[in-house]
Amino acid sequence: MDFSLTAEQQLLRDSLADWLADRYDLARSREAAASETGWQPEVWRSFADDLGILGATLPEEVGGSGGGPVEAMVIAEQLGRALVVEPYVDTVVLGGGVLRRLPGTGDPLEGIVAGSVRIAPALLEPTSGHTAHSVAATARRDGGDWVLTGAKTVVPGVPQATHLLLTARTSGEQRDLDGISLFLLPVDLPGLQVHRYRTIDDRHAADLVLDDVRLPAAALLGEEGRGWTALSPALDEALAALAAEAVGCLRRVLADTVAYSKERRQFGQPIGSFQALQHRMVDMHLEVEQSVAAMYLATLRLGAEPAERARATSAAKVTISRAARFVGQNAVQLHGGMGMTQELAIGHYFKRLTAIEYELGPADHHRARYAALTPTTG
Amino acid sequence: MDLEWSAADLAFRDEVHAFLDERLTPDLRRAGRLMTSVYADHEASMRWQAILHERGWAAPAWPVEYGGCDWTVTQHYLFSRESILAGAPPLSPMGISMVAHVLIEFGTPEQKEFFLPRILTGEVFFCQGYSEPEAGSDLAALSMSAVEDGDDLVCTGSKIWTTHATEANWMFCLVRTSRAAKKQQGITFLLIDMSSPGIEVRPLVMTSGEQIQNQEFFDHVRVPKANVVGEIDDGWTVAKYLLEFERGGSAAAPKLQVMADQVARAAAGQPGPDGGPLLESPAFAAKLADARIRIDVLEVLEFRVLSAAAGGKNPGTASSMLKILGTELSQTLTELLLEAAGPRGRAYQPHATRPGGPLAGFAPPADGYVSGEEWQAVAPLRYFNDRAGTIYAGSNEIQRNILAKAALGL
Repeated sequence: MDFSLTAEQQLLRDSLADWLADRYDLARSREAAASETGWQPEVWRSFADDLGILGATLPEEVGGSGGGPVEAMVIAEQLGRALVVEPYVDTVVLGGGVLRRLPGTGDPLEGIVAGSVRIAPALLEPTSGHTAHSVAATARRDGGDWVLTGAKTVVPGVPQATHLLLTARTSGEQRDLDGISLFLLPVDLPGLQVHRYRTIDDRHAADLVLDDVRLPAAALLGEEGRGWTALSPALDEALAALAAEAVGCLRRVLADTVAYSKERRQFGQPIGSFQALQHRMVDMHLEVEQSVAAMYLATLRLGAEPAERARATSAAKVTISRAARFVGQNAVQLHGGMGMTQELAIGHYFKRLTAIEYELGPADHHRARYAALTPTTG
Repeated sequence: MDLEWSAADLAFRDEVHAFLDERLTPDLRRAGRLMTSVYADHEASMRWQAILHERGWAAPAWPVEYGGCDWTVTQHYLFSRESILAGAPPLSPMGISMVAHVLIEFGTPEQKEFFLPRILTGEVFFCQGYSEPEAGSDLAALSMSAVEDGDDLVCTGSKIWTTHATEANWMFCLVRTSRAAKKQQGITFLLIDMSSPGIEVRPLVMTSGEQIQNQEFFDHVRVPKANVVGEIDDGWTVAKYLLEFERGGSAAAPKLQVMADQVARAAAGQPGPDGGPLLESPAFAAKLADARIRIDVLEVLEFRVLSAAAGGKNPGTASSMLKILGTELSQTLTELLLEAAGPRGRAYQPHATRPGGPLAGFAPPADGYVSGEEWQAVAPLRYFNDRAGTIYAGSNEIQRNILAKAALGL
């Protein structure tokens, strides 16, 4: 058993942390997030060229460094700490995770490493809730083409994305795991209706309407109807990375709250000297430490057999969702009115933590998945 | 002992109900339904106030001689309850429910004559200047100075968390007129005309993107001493009197019931983890049932306070208890609404809501597109804004301190 990072992993962490501290300004990134483009393209360029984090977890054959889940964890935590809005987890961990298993055509993995391909996962639908395998959109063959019909909602990372990773059903019922096919298509495909909007966490997303949208045969990733076999492990990898991003946010929020409680004086003393608030912050600390442990649990079980992997990532999501809510809400409470504003970083972190609570499924969803995978005894 | 309304109470309820049916327009109901915080759209709220004023119901809690209603405590409760159930946009509390009671108790005849009728018509719209950057929970530490100069007080300092300061034309505030050994002494309750020279209002952008709260900067603002309410240096007495009106005396349970029903309707139409309706998923159903049970119990607690008040008793520490329970329940319900919103709860769509103030840096889509339903656009904004419930009007930590001392003798 070993929780230590290798020298290379420490270097990755430190160089990324230093770069973000120097170059990723919170106010400037929020301005970019509120703009039409929604991000800072030069940041992504640096991620590819200067820091090499886009290829850190991808194979050497496509130009990556061949790292694994621990590298993704190290990167995602630092991005979470700096509240980076650029879509690392969606593009590299989820998109890259699928494409590593089902390469597709046109070398998209090389594009991810180089920063020129950015993936928006188009999984959820108006009637899916948070269940990624609930797919009602359909794809049918027409000559050599695929014709897609249906709707997707809250597709994250539009407009930054160049490609959509889209699920459509080629057979079976809405919630069947079999019969889901995966397609990789350019985001500006003619005939695709895109309704863009901002999200509560300073990011962008879109609703898509596919009304007989025509794709070439090569847009299908892997085998028809077998998309879930690649999507399911990639979603678990994304859950582990999301847990790490959450840990980055949580650590910063706790540190800011403790620092504020030492500075803010009421009744002639720092509010951090009041026992009621000390205990609250200790409870926040306990949530953060459990989230760190949950992050390791998810990350280090990604190589396990599917049921064990899924239980570990669901356990992590339940833990970080609970922590995101408790720590986020109490950080606001302890900052008082200032916590309700966008004047301090805390308001922006609270919004991201709120989105993280629900992203890739809320706690109840993962409790149910964990329970279903846990054998009953006695 | 019973929990039933009397026949007279029921007849009154029907009268209120009929009035609301007739006068509450669809647009006003919409403004009430799509609120993202405890503050209604200002224009809609003022429009509703004018309709109520026409009927003589804009300020029922005032003494009859000033335009109030000769109602029993139960009737006040029923009026408030029916208004909430019908989805009426709430009126701003600052004038009618707060400063007016201070003027009635402590005001000079001139102050009463000038302000009370104008508050009723909406011609005078008040904001509240209590908190300062360095005086929040510790309100008595306030330091905005007011120096006597002839017939005026000259005010310099800053106020913060001032709801609707940009809409208001008057502010009631607490200023420091002298520094005594005890910080509660030397405070004066003052009415300031917001058009006076030297006042700068800076809107604060909340996490929801809304600008409802403000900070004001006062630079040698001259205010006539005639605008002092009560005695100079004795403002703390006035402020304490007013705090009772801010914390207690309202009916939280009906509002919470409306929210719980909204959560139930929302969850019935959304898929849960197993594919069936979210409302039927065991985890969600249990959480909603638990919230409803707490509301049922809170309502009886409110009835008990109401009965005591009807018998002429001061609610005392009950107002702290009701504030804690009501605001924390409200937060639970906003959490459940956001859970029910599903993935679309992440979309930022204030154009599909009726916020209580302008939005900073938001341009609605040209085609007016809304992802999902309006309540899904309301859900995240209400969740963010409702976090203020446990902070304002004396944080829940302060209320617990009050209860520890006053209810438990600790």
